[in-house]
Amino acid sequence: MIEVKSLTKSYNGRKALKGINFTIQTGELYGLLGPNGAGKTTIISIMSSILDADSGEVTIGRYNLSTDAKSVKKVIGVVPQEIALYNELTAYENLLFWGGLYQVPGKELSNRANELLNLFGLEDRKNDKVGNYSGGMKRRINIAAALLHRPKVLFMDEPTVGIDPQSRNLIFEMIEKLHSQGMTIVYTTHYMEEAERFCNRIGIIDNGQIIAEGTLDELKSTISTKEIINITFSNINEEKANEIKSFWSDAKQSDTSILFKSSNVKFDLSKLVLKCNQIGLDITNVEIMKVNLETIFLNLTGKQLRD
Amino acid sequence: MIRLAVKDLRLFFRDRRSMILTFAIPIVLMTIFAFAFGGVGKTRQSNKITLLVSDLDNTPLSKKAILQLDSLKSIQLQAVTLEEAEESIKKGNRSCVLVIHIGFSDSLIKGAELPLELRYDEARGIEVGLIQQSLVPTIAMLPFNLLNSKQMIGNRLARMAGINDPKAKEAIKTQSDHLYDAISDGILRSGKRDKVNIASNFMGGDIKMTKLVRSTNDNQLGLIQAVAGTAVMWLLFSVVGVGMSILDEKHEGTLTRLLYTPTNPVNILFSKMISANVISILQLLIMFLFASLAFGLEIYSNLGGMLINIIATAFACSSFGILLASLAKNRSQVQGLSILIILVMSAIGGSMIPLIFMPSFMQKIAVVSVNYWSIQGFYDIFWRNFSIFNPTFISRISVLILIGIILNILAVIMFKKNILKLT
Repeated sequence: MIEVKSLTKSYNGRKALKGINFTIQTGELYGLLGPNGAGKTTIISIMSSILDADSGEVTIGRYNLSTDAKSVKKVIGVVPQEIALYNELTAYENLLFWGGLYQVPGKELSNRANELLNLFGLEDRKNDKVGNYSGGMKRRINIAAALLHRPKVLFMDEPTVGIDPQSRNLIFEMIEKLHSQGMTIVYTTHYMEEAERFCNRIGIIDNGQIIAEGTLDELKSTISTKEIINITFSNINEEKANEIKSFWSDAKQSDTSILFKSSNVKFDLSKLVLKCNQIGLDITNVEIMKVNLETIFLNLTGKQLRD
Repeated sequence: MIRLAVKDLRLFFRDRRSMILTFAIPIVLMTIFAFAFGGVGKTRQSNKITLLVSDLDNTPLSKKAILQLDSLKSIQLQAVTLEEAEESIKKGNRSCVLVIHIGFSDSLIKGAELPLELRYDEARGIEVGLIQQSLVPTIAMLPFNLLNSKQMIGNRLARMAGINDPKAKEAIKTQSDHLYDAISDGILRSGKRDKVNIASNFMGGDIKMTKLVRSTNDNQLGLIQAVAGTAVMWLLFSVVGVGMSILDEKHEGTLTRLLYTPTNPVNILFSKMISANVISILQLLIMFLFASLAFGLEIYSNLGGMLINIIATAFACSSFGILLASLAKNRSQVQGLSILIILVMSAIGGSMIPLIFMPSFMQKIAVVSVNYWSIQGFYDIFWRNFSIFNPTFISRISVLILIGIILNILAVIMFKKNILKLT
């Protein structure tokens, strides 16, 4: 359904995308997980035809983006990262406006707008100006505005940034509902919980490259260990770091912390503490991390997702 | 405290908009007004007003008279045929023509009323009044300056007394020699103003005034200037605000969202253009309607012409606003630029000062401003009573539309270059 081949993009000589490849099947919910600045929004911007790639190819359905961008725009819906609505218009007026740009006929558009307002729990406030809404309510309308023309593919670019838990849950339920109805969704986020919750497949992106891709189980299986011991030191230097890393078969440094893979955390932790004492490393914090997307990302890049 | 003040000064001097508002705009406006009121240059002379002169008499005396008038400090004569002069006045290029009719020399010699006529555009009454005031004293002095004055006074006295008998005329001539000596003595002892008064009292110096371009309402000149000048200037400020909504949309993300839709990006710009036009037309209509209701401006005599001029003005001004928003990168840049450009355009285009007060080179520069063409269009309708088919009126409308088209083309180019660039 969606095929992205060898996508590259540079801004002022800085490579933002370094050859992105992925394929998404119809009805799949695909997550693009990566820290801020990894290139997620650039991919969405290129796929939705508002930004030209330097090279590469994007095909959505039977349309090639470079030759038939207008047709692509008709079958996709985009939920932008920022809330892009007219504050002086009511929620209902906003929906009518955005739907009208996709040539949805008047009566159908009105029904669809009411249906979405009901779905997002905003029917009672439909005639209030969006400017008077809370951040969470605005986020919901921001999503609804992308659904009026019943797109086959929905791009959601970090749709839950800065949102209250109640609205977040409502949005999650909406995404799951849309997915269950067969909609293809591309969801970018830097929250691993979101990707873990509902993505069929996840592409982990960092520094303009997809560094791992697969289902959650497939990604977890790339780490043979059960847990990761993350120890932070107050007096780490190159010599001491090399000494402790040479002591452990699979250790990675991240600033003043070192990550140690472990299959028996109680046993491994005592060994590590003893060794640190011998080397003279002062421990300030110890964190035991279960294998999840965060630890997978840490393991792959040595960075945390929120870095 | 000093530290705080230094911080404020540093912020002030780094803010381009504040710098423009504080220094650039007052200097530019001061310069324009200085030129307009003739206070520039070592001589500090006022600007000369161009007066067309058509010499139908075409005699040595009429030519000498033209030379005398040309020596006036406030007037610059331009000799043309009567047809050329009338054409120029009807087009609104000149305010009046001094016609020296056939028989001027004879009248001068005989001491009769001089056949001089000032044909003028009533819409430019202030300018014509200034010219008339400058001409009268010199014309009154013409008989003294151009002729054997004793003979002229004798003839004049005879005409005044209605005497045709040769003997009586001879007696008057003898007496007139004494009278001449008395008048000359009076003139010699008088100051400049009294000299002219004496000459005027004795010789007349009247010019026949003929309205070449008439107005139906004699009291509307200042009103039209005030209404049209203000309306166009504020319209420019309003449309810049509409144009700036493009930048607001870019800032708030709705422009990017619009680009996600199948809408043609250029249509986004044209939609702004349409809304700017509608708002502009409404604003001008309301201003003229208000002027009609509150001040009695006669707008109903040529409603069609007014609407056409309003639409053309709205189009040109809206295009200007959209272009300005497309040129700038952010709201404060637009605000700084717009204040500078609009005030300068309004000052040179006749919104602030009637063009007649401007030196000729500034009147030529005025054609680059939207204000000029629009205000002249309103003069055509309300003062010169031109119909919508009048070539001069059509040419002004055409210029406004042409300005709008050119600005629109530039706006599309800049919109694609500056606004749609997402990188």
